[in-house]
Amino acid sequence: MKKKLSAIIIDDEAPARDIIKTYLDEFPDVEIAAECRNGFEGVKAIHELNPNIVFLDIQMPKISGFEMLELLDVEPIIIFTTAFDEYAVKAFEVNAADYLLKPFSRERFRESIVKAKGLLKDKSKKREITNKLIHHHDSNIQYLERVVIKSGWRIKIVPIESVFWFEAQDDYVMIHANEGKFLKQKTMKFFERHLNPRDFIRIHRSHIVRISHIKQIEPFSKMSYQAILNNGISIPLSKTGYQKIKDII
Amino acid sequence: MSHPLFQRKNSLFYYLFVWSLITVSHTVILNIGIGLRWEFALWDGIVLNLTYAFLALSFWYSCKFISLEKRNFFPILINHSLASVVSSLIWLGIAYIILVRIAIPDQLYHKFFNNAFLWRLLIGILFYFIMVSFYYLLIYYQSFHEKLLRESELKALVKEAELKTLKFQINPHFIFNSLNSINSLILSSPQKAGEMTIKLSEFLRSTLAKNEAQTGKLEDEIRTAKLYLDIEEVRFGDKIDFIEEVDGKCLNKAVPSMILQPLFENAIKHGVYESIEMVQIKFTCRINNNYLKIMVENNFDPETVNRTGIGVGLDNIRNRLEKAYNQSNLLHIEKENSHFRAIINIPIEER
Repeated sequence: MKKKLSAIIIDDEAPARDIIKTYLDEFPDVEIAAECRNGFEGVKAIHELNPNIVFLDIQMPKISGFEMLELLDVEPIIIFTTAFDEYAVKAFEVNAADYLLKPFSRERFRESIVKAKGLLKDKSKKREITNKLIHHHDSNIQYLERVVIKSGWRIKIVPIESVFWFEAQDDYVMIHANEGKFLKQKTMKFFERHLNPRDFIRIHRSHIVRISHIKQIEPFSKMSYQAILNNGISIPLSKTGYQKIKDII
Repeated sequence: MSHPLFQRKNSLFYYLFVWSLITVSHTVILNIGIGLRWEFALWDGIVLNLTYAFLALSFWYSCKFISLEKRNFFPILINHSLASVVSSLIWLGIAYIILVRIAIPDQLYHKFFNNAFLWRLLIGILFYFIMVSFYYLLIYYQSFHEKLLRESELKALVKEAELKTLKFQINPHFIFNSLNSINSLILSSPQKAGEMTIKLSEFLRSTLAKNEAQTGKLEDEIRTAKLYLDIEEVRFGDKIDFIEEVDGKCLNKAVPSMILQPLFENAIKHGVYESIEMVQIKFTCRINNNYLKIMVENNFDPETVNRTGIGVGLDNIRNRLEKAYNQSNLLHIEKENSHFRAIINIPIEER
């Protein structure tokens, strides 16, 4: 006998979850493992149940569907379900993939399941699409308002207002905020692109600093300078970093 | 612009009345002050002043021709000085023909007329400048008045346009998600799907229809806002706890249309959309010192990050209230810990 596929539905609206359940009735080989009302429940359920397919709403309380994806250690097939999403519409037109615009028809839903099943057989393609989705989201948002971080089972939402310094650490970025220090798997380039240049400045290959947090600039050695932050920490300045700061001040 | 003295019936009458006063004083001064025989003095006064009165009517056209706005001061002064001398000479010339040649065959008077010539020339020039100043004042007043009129018309237009754009703008998320709920209910509970379709239609109709009428009864506003709330309750039923305390006396009071629903929408958007727990929305309405005090309160999750500013919806309400009642601060926002309160005060208009 063929093994059953498991699915999780994540949406903050009950009727929206119900219609997916109803549509799934005609797929006896797909079993609903859980229903979640928000991203927190979603992360927990996905890690516990390791489903094959996740139906994911984008606009949800506190953390969006996209943000929730960033917190996953596993990579299920994601089928987005959203009413109206500025970024996603184009993303999926290009990728011609698993994206359902609410309200969606039974036919459209069937196509989506067929597509998902196809991707499950071809893992490399799946990975490529998921990355494209995340990447597309990244390149479309304007400036970050918050960063979501997972440590163990805890999910922490760090508002950008409270961050004063981003520091490169191998494949991660250490985020120094009022609430403490947090590691996030992103590149410095990503943060440089998605922080408002009025607030933040990249003063070194490994450092992006909140401009208002820089207390003073002082010579470090011959030909080089360092920035002193309000909390007394000193950070080296690259040549271009020094130029950038000079232009601002 | 035609001659101002012919625009209204009375103005020409007043003009001639002023000149007859001048004529009387002229005659009296000549008779008593200089000792001219009274019939000569009367002739002199009537002919000179009547002539000038008619001549002065034509000064209007030189004022229209020599506009103050387009030229420098000196060319204008020279133009008018020349015109004043020329018109005074014409004036005295006509007076000479009538008085000396025709009306008064008296040597003594002829001598008086000749002696007074230079003085009269100066008086003529002086009168010219008085008349010209008067005309320029009229021109200035009229254009000022027109400008004011145009400005107020423009302001009214702008206000109307602004009111239109400040009107409720339907959030596409809301529509598509509601349609999705209906689609879902059709399969699970057709009865409810029907109810929701009717509610959504009624709500959309009321938001679209209210473009023309700018005020409505609070009762109607409450109905529209509740339609909205009902629809959201279908979507988030388990998360909304709605309480209302409305004083019945408020219901028939006039309020700007679409002023209440955005308050509810704001509470739903920042309270319910962003919370993973139950959110209480409390709607209170009562009369307070000739004001309608409408209050919508909700709790929210203070940890929610993207809560910046007061939001477009509330900003619109503030602007609309200010424009409608010429009073600022009719909208109060209070935010403490996890409690949000929006209060609008609407002046009660007696009808």
